Amino acid sequence: MPSVEFRRLSKRYGRDEVLRALSTTLESDRFNVVLGPPGCGKSLLLRLMTGLEPADAGAILIDGRDVGDLSPGERNIGYVPQSFALYPHYRVFDNIAYPLTLAGSRRRDAEGAVRRIAEMLRIEALLDKRPDQLSGGEKQRVAIARGLVKDTTLFVLDDPLTGLDFKLREQLFDDLRVMREALGATFVYTTSDPLESLILADHVHLLNDGRIVEAGPVEAVYRAPRHLHSMQLLGFPRTNVLAGTLETNSGRVTCRTELFEVPVTLSDGEASDFGASRGVKAGVRAEHLVLGDVLRDRNVHIPVEVVLAEDLGGELVVHLDAGEHRLITVLRHERGVDLDERDLIAQVAPESIIVFDDEHLQCVASGGDGRRG
Amino acid sequence: MNGSRRLQQSAYHLGLWLVAIIFFLPIFWVVLNAFKSRRDILAVPPQLAFTPTLDNFRDLFARETFAPYMTASVTMSVAAVLIAIAVAFLASYSFSRFKPRGTDFLMFLLLSVRMVPAAAVVIPIYMMYNLVGWREDWLGMTLFYAMFSIPFSVWILKGFIDGVSERYDETALVNGGSRFHVVFKVILPQVKPGLVASFIFNLIFVWNDFLFSFMLGGRTTSMIPVLLSTGLYADGGVDWPFISALTGIYVLPPVIVVFLFQRFLLVGMTFGTVRGEV
Repeated sequence: MPSVEFRRLSKRYGRDEVLRALSTTLESDRFNVVLGPPGCGKSLLLRLMTGLEPADAGAILIDGRDVGDLSPGERNIGYVPQSFALYPHYRVFDNIAYPLTLAGSRRRDAEGAVRRIAEMLRIEALLDKRPDQLSGGEKQRVAIARGLVKDTTLFVLDDPLTGLDFKLREQLFDDLRVMREALGATFVYTTSDPLESLILADHVHLLNDGRIVEAGPVEAVYRAPRHLHSMQLLGFPRTNVLAGTLETNSGRVTCRTELFEVPVTLSDGEASDFGASRGVKAGVRAEHLVLGDVLRDRNVHIPVEVVLAEDLGGELVVHLDAGEHRLITVLRHERGVDLDERDLIAQVAPESIIVFDDEHLQCVASGGDGRRG
Repeated sequence: MNGSRRLQQSAYHLGLWLVAIIFFLPIFWVVLNAFKSRRDILAVPPQLAFTPTLDNFRDLFARETFAPYMTASVTMSVAAVLIAIAVAFLASYSFSRFKPRGTDFLMFLLLSVRMVPAAAVVIPIYMMYNLVGWREDWLGMTLFYAMFSIPFSVWILKGFIDGVSERYDETALVNGGSRFHVVFKVILPQVKPGLVASFIFNLIFVWNDFLFSFMLGGRTTSMIPVLLSTGLYADGGVDWPFISALTGIYVLPPVIVVFLFQRFLLVGMTFGTVRGEV
């Protein structure tokens, strides 16, 4: 199983420093998702990894070997590009068989491999067609099949589902996970979609501003993000962030914002002797800001007013005004909250508040005094 | 479609036909003359009813100048345009993919070769060719026409190659394909209409060139337009039977080529802008 390590990778275009000493290690035999905002350098990272572009500094190690001097073809990586890039002059079969043909496989071996992968992706019926006879979803399946047919255990997928409608993407999510397990391979998949990351990833790498700000198992990163950007990136709708201060008062540490004051527990290794107060950002996930529940005393209460409700089908994204601040929450339809009601109170369990320091945006504390209510 | 719309469309078509016929008339007249006797050609008023004859062609083929000029026309224009397309295809691939510093300026500079009036450059080129001894030389003349055909071909082909996503190149490279494979097996099949379009456009240009052929060419390297002009007068008047027959023969190859490839040409004339990615 290949291990892949990125070591202090840097790349700049003119004055634009796209990757800044990026380091992370891919989890072998796992679905690795690189999540980052559009234009943050995700595709570039894959281009460096596949050898399509050289890095300015740093190294990429595959199985402990620096692959900097290897050509793209020598790195033995399966590749699914962002656009389909199916060869219009080839039939679907030949498109899928392309990597095998290039590698000099015998026709009979290639045929078997193509049929196997086509069956897994349910496109056997398309093998004799030409790309221009396929729908968007079918083309994407063919492109994925071509990427995955290669006889290797390391595959990169550059945001392959972008531009497909949600229904098609949903079907492909399942297929991709099943394929990865069947191949027993390491996948690296880039996306800017938090939902896609939550569904697909075993391991998530959050890329922001040219660096990996956090990497880890997706549930752990979602539950306890160690960086404000990971909390913001890996969540939908967007996380509520409030500026505040961390204060210490006779041994008790609290986080105070304009909307609430809540006792917090400092993260391991965080010193409590930061003086009287310290600037922080408090993050609350939209789904943890609850409307219309029975009010519980131990929770933080925030009086709010509804500004706008977007209907997403099963749930509503509700934009709220709380004093000077704009907050976002999600609400399931069946809760039946009357959004026209005045004096609405939103509540947050203290444990759902995560505190990041102002300067490095690292997690320094989480809400609650350690006792779960 | 209702009555007035149909009437309007018929009127449009009528107008278009009229314009087309006006432009086509001189060619029609010359080709028709090729089948007339000298007396019929010069008859006033012009005769539409006449006894067709192939005498003019027989006379033409019997002339000892016809074969070398025709051979030069065919071999030089085809060779020049093929060389130009080979060079232009590789150049436009580089411009499109590697985007060397100053690409836009270089592209402009290339086209500027065609902005200068031919009459302004023919003397300097004559002197250069004289100096290196390429005048009246088949290869020298062919290379000159190739040079003159490259800029336009680069412009057409770069548009086409830009229209082919770089993901194609990358897919090939990651799967172990060489750059050679990418250029000739991946890109080339996808820009065929562009290759055909630049072949035809440049072929027509070289085929019809008079000035350079007249100034630089010699007995074996001048093309038909020179023969047309030098054979214009005979026996104290315009030699219409000769001109008509020669023109009739000379328009045939471009017409056949365009007819055979018009499917590609229509795509080619949009300079690769109308192209869906699959």
